[in-house]
Parts: sequence; structure tokens; C-alpha cells
Amino acid sequence: MAAVTVPLGRVDAGAPRVTPAQTGSEQAILVVDDIVKRFETPDGVLTAVDHVSLSVSPGEFVGIIGPSGCGKSTLFNVIGGLLDGYEGTVRVAGERVRGPHASIGMIFQEESTFPWRNVIDNVAFPLEIAGLPKAERYDRARHFVKLVGLDGFERRYPAELSGGMRQRVSMARTLAAQPKILLMDEPFASLDEQTRLLLGDKVLQIQQELKQTTLLITHNITEAVQLSDRILVMTYRPGKVKRMVEIKLPRPRTSEIVSSEAFGRYVAQIWGDLREEAGRGMEDEEARKLREGEHR
Amino acid sequence: MAETGRLTLPASRPFGVPVSPVTALRIAIIVAVVVVWEIVSASGWLYRDVVPSLVAIGKALYVTLADPTFYFHLYTTFYEIGIAMVIGGVSGLAVGILLGGSKFMSRAYEAYLYYLGPCPKIIFFPIMIMWFGVGPGSKVAMGAISCFFPVALNVAGGMREIDKVLIKVGRSFRANTWQMVTKIYLPAMRHPVINGVRLGLGVALIGTLLAETKLSNRGIGFLVIQAYSIFNMPQMYALLIILFVIAIGANTLIGRVGGLDDIKRT
Amino acid sequence: MTAAATLAKNRYVPAALGVLSFVVFIALIELLIRVGVINRFIVPMPSDIIAAFPRVIMEEEVLHRFLLTAGEAFSASILVTIFGVAGGVLLHRYNLLRLATETWVAAVAAAPLVLMYPLYLVIFGRSALTIVMMGFTAGLAPIILKTLEGLMGTRRVLINVGRSFNLTRSQQFWKILFPAALPTIFVGLRLGLIFSLINIVGVEFLINFGGLGQLINELAERYDLPGTYAAICFVILVSVCVFIIMERLERWLRPVD
Repeated sequence: MAAVTVPLGRVDAGAPRVTPAQTGSEQAILVVDDIVKRFETPDGVLTAVDHVSLSVSPGEFVGIIGPSGCGKSTLFNVIGGLLDGYEGTVRVAGERVRGPHASIGMIFQEESTFPWRNVIDNVAFPLEIAGLPKAERYDRARHFVKLVGLDGFERRYPAELSGGMRQRVSMARTLAAQPKILLMDEPFASLDEQTRLLLGDKVLQIQQELKQTTLLITHNITEAVQLSDRILVMTYRPGKVKRMVEIKLPRPRTSEIVSSEAFGRYVAQIWGDLREEAGRGMEDEEARKLREGEHR
Repeated sequence: MAETGRLTLPASRPFGVPVSPVTALRIAIIVAVVVVWEIVSASGWLYRDVVPSLVAIGKALYVTLADPTFYFHLYTTFYEIGIAMVIGGVSGLAVGILLGGSKFMSRAYEAYLYYLGPCPKIIFFPIMIMWFGVGPGSKVAMGAISCFFPVALNVAGGMREIDKVLIKVGRSFRANTWQMVTKIYLPAMRHPVINGVRLGLGVALIGTLLAETKLSNRGIGFLVIQAYSIFNMPQMYALLIILFVIAIGANTLIGRVGGLDDIKRT
Repeated sequence: MTAAATLAKNRYVPAALGVLSFVVFIALIELLIRVGVINRFIVPMPSDIIAAFPRVIMEEEVLHRFLLTAGEAFSASILVTIFGVAGGVLLHRYNLLRLATETWVAAVAAAPLVLMYPLYLVIFGRSALTIVMMGFTAGLAPIILKTLEGLMGTRRVLINVGRSFNLTRSQQFWKILFPAALPTIFVGLRLGLIFSLINIVGVEFLINFGGLGQLINELAERYDLPGTYAAICFVILVSVCVFIIMERLERWLRPVD
């Protein structure tokens, strides 16, 4: 197959606020409007998220990338409704989000399968909470267990599975609730590189199949470019939108595409943006540790 | 004649049967103890009858187990401890969840439990007698207050150790409070809860039995002190053996039921 | 942040609430007794109890008793620490021994050993020795088990670091295994001390032999209600102090954790 060359297009960094009008003709399913989140710490007031706005269309896959400490997990928790006390609004299909919302599904970075439940019971959990009758619960759960490729493992316990399989269980569990929007916070962080790549493929496959609107928080640039339609690049704390990059690569993102020049250019560009932020982050972190130690 | 998965030392084949070194050592220890015991018993080095021969103890065991009134006393003690565990356990669970779930409540009240816990509860016995009489009531009360503290403290600690992400999962799926408690908190805490219950059983046993020895006319504790008072040592040993076997059995059972692998975890 | 939230975050407010609740509770009891809702012959008035404190301290030779109980507790603690930790180390060192006896030790830890006190009475007589031995027996098993648990729980990687530096067996133990196991050992010591103390005061109470346990017994038999309650408070105070001291000791030995 010939090398794929695709022009790079990007929204200019000078306009960090992306209003709904700029994202396109479709009605946005998720509107994050001017979020500011501050925390009180012993060191003073910390601004984790500083005027971040985002608009997501149905079926879109948006990646959010930034250095450690840029507030992406805070953003994740704000959008998901697990945090309050912020300025700005989050709307899902026009409805204001004030707490965990039925239309939003969250997949966390850490191991989150319930160790005391087997796979099918884990996946059926949200349906159990919602009060679905038993037969229906298990039917739906089985469907999603199959979707993530774990059929045959229904009765196994998380302890018997590998890390990648456990993340798939978490994924199936969240998908079983059939949320309009899927939020993922570095779901592959605890996995090794190969598993990560394979799972990334799986996620993409599922997303395409379900036409699932997805937000992926990650620090892995390759992963972000591989999976996303658009990427939001964040600055180090206080977290602002540094750049919004449209990934104009064809789908499905096969291994040829991943190893193509265009792909590499996207990665290089984003790393160029990130490098400076990551550097600041590291210095800041080290300075903080030094101060902490001196207090003793 | 090799046995897979077993260590066989060439020397340890008494009676021509292969025996694992662990079993061999255990048998050796038991044999040594029995031999020393019998020697001390027969020699009369310690006061006569403090170390009765194992035969005498065996006889006493048989007599006790065959005696119907023994079971009446056994039942009394069981009943007292059972109710004590329920009262102490449930209240301990509730208080533990409350304290563990809220940093504020924990800072306000947990210290009291933490420092009151190690205090020997037998000192409250005279008060318990005044409040609940000389019958089973005061024994149940002793067992309950003994059991309450380890359960409450273990549960509070267990709540704090629950993997935070599991709570986030529950919240993200909008589970209500009851669902959070039954489907997330309790299962996630099963190890600390089980350990708390075991510890609670241990101290409830001590509390109830001591109360029985001090002031009662029924129950195993009473039987023990009765045997002692007429200096029927074999009988006393027999009772103690039965008691210990039951206590150890109950402890193991709780551990197994709770899904812990072995009795080793305190 | 709202005023309530700020209050909640304050370090001292919860502690103050705790103390306040306690005081309010006591005041409530006092009121209920004075009014007659609670029978004053079953629960003496808190004011009477407080009044009884000085009397109990002076008349009942509390200091002497305290020293006796404390002495017993101290002796038992020393003995049980030495033998308990040594036992744990022994079981860790000799695998075969551990495999053979660990379940037995765990079983002993689960048994109500205190009921053996009549036996000890006969063997050691009606003396402080009986009480110390009871305390010793009761506290031994948990300490052995926790020491073993701590030693066995040392992370593999730390052991490998030691091996990579070619440490001798003794060095490996003192410089790596033991420090790594220390937190768990302390948990065991606390547990063992609790069981010891329960047995010591309990047996004092039961056999009516000197010390604080006996004091409560005597006062109760004399129907001196305020005195009994005061004595109980006193024992609680002592118990609290012992464990606070133990905590300070632990923190001094392990500064950062």
C-alpha cells in the first residue's frame, strides 16, 4: 500500500476556547463550557483546570493529552460528575450534569474490577444497580462480555485474569450501562506496551461498532493519535487548552497507518507541544518534594 | 514408589510408610510432649494431680461428654456468646462504618474506641451485674462489650482501606447508600470484618467465660471453676480441652466461611 | 467554601466535638439520675464518682496497687516480647519447624487461655508470679504470629538487594528483614500486650489478689458504687496511658511512616 500522506490541519493555538459553533454542523452531545476548578492545598490555592471548553459530536473519539499534573484527571472527574465546586457547566445532550449521570460512563485508570465478583457479575453490576430483572441483566451482560472478547470467562474471578483482561472487564461493565458518552482516564496505564496496543485496537473496534462517543485521557501520544479523531493538548498546571489537533487519518487505523509518515508527523507535533509542558511539570514536582522534605 | 509432590527423606519411613518431614516432626513433637507429660505426672514432681496422667484425663473426657447435664451448660455458654456476638457485632459494624466513612466522625470519636479497646472489660463486670442481674444477662453484656471494640475498630480501619477506585465505580453508576453498603463496602471489607469478628469472638469468649467463673451457676466457666474447687483436675483439663477445641474450631470456621485461606492470619 | 465545610476541615473541631459530646453525655446522666429516671442505686451520680476519686486514691493505696499491676504488666511484656519475637524469628529461620507448628500457634492464639488460671494458681501459688505467667501465656501466640508474618512479608526485591551486596545471613537479618518486619511486629506487640493486660487485670479481679483488678472487686463487694466506678475509671486511665506510651515509643523508633 502506498505511503499515506495527509495534510496536517489544526486549530490555531491563539483561540483556546472552542465554542460549539466551531466543531461542525452536528449537534454536540457533550458541551464542556469554560470549566475552572480550583483546589485548596496547604501550599495555597491550586488551579487545576483553567477555562477549558470542549464540544464533542456524537460518535466522535476525542483524546485529551497532557503532562502529569495538567489537570486531565480533574477534568475527567468534573465531566463525569464525581467532582463539584467548579465554575462553568457540563452538558450532556442539553442536560446539565450535576453528579454522576446515567448518560456518562466512566472507566478508571486503576484496577477497578470487584475482586469478589466473577466476570459476569462484574459486568452486570450497573444493571443490578438500575434494578433490571435478573434474566435481562445477564443477557445484556453476556452480550458485552462477548463484545470485549471474554466469552468463556464469565464465571472466572478477576484474580484469575491478566491485567489486560481485567481492564476489558471494567470496560464491558461500563459499556453495559450503554452510556451516551464514554469517559476513559488512562485505562491502559497499568498495562505493558503490547497489551496496550492490542487493547487499543479492541477499543477502536468496539467504538466503531457501537458508534460510541468517547473521551480518552492519556499521556501516551502514540495511543492518542492512533485512536482519536481530535486531540486536545493541555498545558501543565493550571491546565488550559494549548492546542486542538484534528487527526485526519483514515479509519480503520491499521498498522500501516500507525507506521506511516503522517502519523509520525502528528506525534512529533504533539510532542513538540508537550515537551515544554512536561519539562515544567517535572521541575515543579521536584521543587515541591524538596520543600516537603524540609518541613520535617 | 515415588509420591509426586511430596518430600520424602529416605530415613523417615517408619513402618515402611512414607511420611512427609512436616508430619514426622509434628508426630515427634506430640510424642515428646506426651512422654514428658506422663513422666511429670507419674513422678509427682509438681503437686499431686496438677498434672494428671493422660489416661485419667481421657476418662474424664469420656465421662463429661456422656453426661447430659454437660450439654445444658454447653448450650448456656453457646447461647450467651451467640447473643453477645450478635449484639456486639452488629453495633460494632454500624459504628465502624460510621467512623470509617467520615473523616470528621473518625477524628471526633475513634480515639475513644482505640484507647478503650485494649482495656480489660472484666472490670465492668460488677456494673454489668448491677444492671443485668446475676443470670445470663450480665454474661451476655460482658461478651457484647468485649466483642464490640475489635469489630468497630477493624471495620473502621477496613472502610478506610477500601480501594478508593471501587467507591468511585459505585458512585459513577449512581448506587444509592444501601447499595453502596451492601454491594461495595461490605464485600470490599470482608477481610478486616472477618478478622474483627474472629478477634471479637476471642475476646467475647474470654469475657463471657470469666464472668461465668466469677459469678454464675451455669455454663462452661462455671463447670471449670466447680471442678477446680473440688480439685478434680482431670475433669478440669477435660473441660478445658473441649472448650479449646470448640474455640479453635469456631475460629477456623469463621475464617473459612469468610474466604480466608488459613487460620494463620490474625 | 461554606462555613460548615471550613469547620469540618479544621483539625480541632472534631476533637472538640468528641470531648463536648462526652461532657454533655455525663451531664445528661447526672440530670437523669437527679430527676429519678435512672435508679441512683444502680448508676451513681457522676458528681459522686468524681468526688470518690480522691478518696479512692488516698484510702485504697492506689499508687501501691498501680505499681503492682504495672509491675506485673511490665514483667509480662518484657518476657512476652523476648520470647514472642524470638519465637517468630525461630519459626522463620527453620522452615520445617514453621510448617509443622504454625497452625498450632494460630490455634493457641484463638483459644481462651485465661481459663487455665486455676491451674496456674496451683502451680505458682497465689502470687504475682501466677499473674505474670498468665499475662505471658496469653500474649505469646499473637506476637509469634505477627513477627513471623512481618518477616515473611518482606518484599522479595529488598531481600535480593541484600543478596546482591553479599550480606551474611546475620547482616541480612538485622539490616533488612528485621527493619522491614518492624511495623508488623509492633502490631503484634500491641495485640499481645492487649491480651496480656486483659488477662492480668482479669485474673487479679478473679482471684482477688492485689493490684487494680482486686481493687474494683473489693469496692464492688462493699457496695461502694461511686468508689467502684471511680476505680474503673482509674483502670481505664491507666490502660489508656500505657497504650499512648507504647505509641510514642513506636513512633520514636520508626520516625517516618
